[in-house]
Amino acid sequence: MRRLLIFDHLSSALHSLRANRTRSFLTTLGITIGIASVTTILTLAAGVANSVNHQIDDIGGNIAVVRPGVSSSTVPSIVRPISPQQYSTSTLDEQDITMINAVDPKLAVAPIMTVDGTLKARNGNVSNGMVVATTPSFIKTTPLAMQDGDFIADDSPAQSAIIGWKMAIDLFGTDSPLGQNFELRKQTFTVVGVLKKIKNPINFNNIDFDSSIIIPFESGKKFHSGRSQIQQINVVAPDSQTLQTAVPKIEAVLDANHGERDFAVISGNAIAEPTNTMFNVLARIMAAIAVVSLVVGGIGIMNIMLVSVAERTREIGIRKAVGASNINIVWQFLIESLIISLTGGLIGVIIGLAVAYLLGLFFLFTPIITLETILVAGGLSLIVGIIFGIYPALRAASKDPIESLRHYR
Amino acid sequence: MRQKSHPVIKLTGLVKQYGTGDAEHNALDGVDLTVEPGEFIAIMGPSGCGKTTLLNILGMLDRADEGEYLLDNNDVEHFSDTKRANIRSRQIGIVFQNFNLIDHMSVIENVALPLTYHGLSRTKRLEAASEMLKSFHLNEREYYMPWQLSGGQTQRVTIARALVNKPSLILADEPTGSLDSRSSHVIMEELSELHQKGNTILMVTHNPNLTSYASRVINMLDGRIASDKKISVSGASTTQTVTLKSTKRPLNVTEPTSAQDKKPKNKDKASKSAEKPDKKEAKIPPRRGRRKR
Repeated sequence: MRRLLIFDHLSSALHSLRANRTRSFLTTLGITIGIASVTTILTLAAGVANSVNHQIDDIGGNIAVVRPGVSSSTVPSIVRPISPQQYSTSTLDEQDITMINAVDPKLAVAPIMTVDGTLKARNGNVSNGMVVATTPSFIKTTPLAMQDGDFIADDSPAQSAIIGWKMAIDLFGTDSPLGQNFELRKQTFTVVGVLKKIKNPINFNNIDFDSSIIIPFESGKKFHSGRSQIQQINVVAPDSQTLQTAVPKIEAVLDANHGERDFAVISGNAIAEPTNTMFNVLARIMAAIAVVSLVVGGIGIMNIMLVSVAERTREIGIRKAVGASNINIVWQFLIESLIISLTGGLIGVIIGLAVAYLLGLFFLFTPIITLETILVAGGLSLIVGIIFGIYPALRAASKDPIESLRHYR
Repeated sequence: MRQKSHPVIKLTGLVKQYGTGDAEHNALDGVDLTVEPGEFIAIMGPSGCGKTTLLNILGMLDRADEGEYLLDNNDVEHFSDTKRANIRSRQIGIVFQNFNLIDHMSVIENVALPLTYHGLSRTKRLEAASEMLKSFHLNEREYYMPWQLSGGQTQRVTIARALVNKPSLILADEPTGSLDSRSSHVIMEELSELHQKGNTILMVTHNPNLTSYASRVINMLDGRIASDKKISVSGASTTQTVTLKSTKRPLNVTEPTSAQDKKPKNKDKASKSAEKPDKKEAKIPPRRGRRKR
């Protein structure tokens, strides 16, 4: 018999909100900002995760990486961004590359060895530039396109270098520095190729190739006293079948070579996991901070609803006198706060997605709208509306009708 | 409609206290009252004697501190808030002294408000409210705001709102309090008509002239019933309790005959006077100044 009178409460709430436009707008704005930040962060995080996974799919998903040390949980790396292992001597060496190559000739194998040092050119210095030493087969394991010149080949001189477009601008002031020289730890290198702008600065190699220099593996070894210091070995197979049979074999030959399991062979989406986990944890921390602004917005709602209840004390008294029950009054005010929070949430999601896309243009990866993001944003605004709306609503309902009717404003 | 076997209202030793300590006083100090269905009771007395408090308790807007209030033989004390709201919504119509219309709602919305809590659809509510306003000659004022109405019109809107849910018990607190005598009689004619239809009416008034419409006159003093006088159809009156103060009403003794003579005349006058000023005022632009108060 007694309905919830949802439409009556809606029209009453809309009337009240319209009567105080500025107030309603500002309160809604509080929620909009909170929801927009949450949406932006979640959308960007989804975009990053997708970007890394997508890259692995680009190579056909038939990729395995061999990393030194025992694979462990990656979460501590958030707490300690620079893991102690980074300074220790790698357990992988050149011999391992040869042995993996021998497992199956169809496999493309390439090591990654990073070199520290300041890059010096006529136009400027770049300290701590990323320098990667690798073999010519690296181009087969990582999708890199050339803008000018060629990638290093087996017959390239030891002093040749490939440069990312951004690094080229930083170092030489031009994006086509072919033939120019730069110095790294007193060794002189000549630019023989420039990389095209890449789509994924965040990738499974953990290297932003736009701001990197690639040198031949042998030249890199010279900086490590002739010893190889391999951070990662990329193994790419022509099809997943080959990879699946190759992985246990690689593990077996490396076990035999090292005498113990001091390396990890990772394949599939597990490769992207450290990167993903890091960004997910970061995204969650940032989202948690954004939720704080949502709480502030919620307090704004409660504040305005309490004012609204106080202003309409007499109306509440009249409504009760003509037959409104406490539940009717609770709903009337709760729906008003829900309208504020859900409208704010809706606008917030739209603004958040727009901001994420703008940032995406800047960061060179595409933000991804997931259903999860929308549900989280929607759920949050609903929860905020209820939590911060229920107290004013209960307070309205508990007003004594006689006292309320005596109330003049 | 209503079973005649039991009284609508039965009050026994009703006490309502206000204030604490030195300021404590009993607004109601042991009120016993039985109201039979179909009675039209006028409650009189000086201000502060507890008339409004009594009406508020009868309308279940307030609770008594002591004593028993039986409504249709049910003890109100044990009713939940929801049940009270339900009874207010379906059985009781309250006409407030100070109108208590919601400022930001139009006249027709105000009148339709009680039906909202019946769960009626908006269209049906507005139809019923429009019908009710028509019977009060206010159909031209439906979409006016409360502050655009004259005192007499506002009072009629208030009564229309009290009656829109077809209550069997009507509680009116000085329904003519702020009106001139002509407008007062228009209102009284309406109440009288409702009485003749079988509704029970309790009306608080200061105006002794208006008691002529009632079937029973109660005088209150200091929170008690000082006198209770039934006016029978034949015109003879029976006084149950007479105290010193009841001598205050010689007016009443002389008044009934003249008032009853006036009645039929008034009825014609009433409908005319209700329509005439309306047409006049329709040309006058709405008075916005009132809102600011």
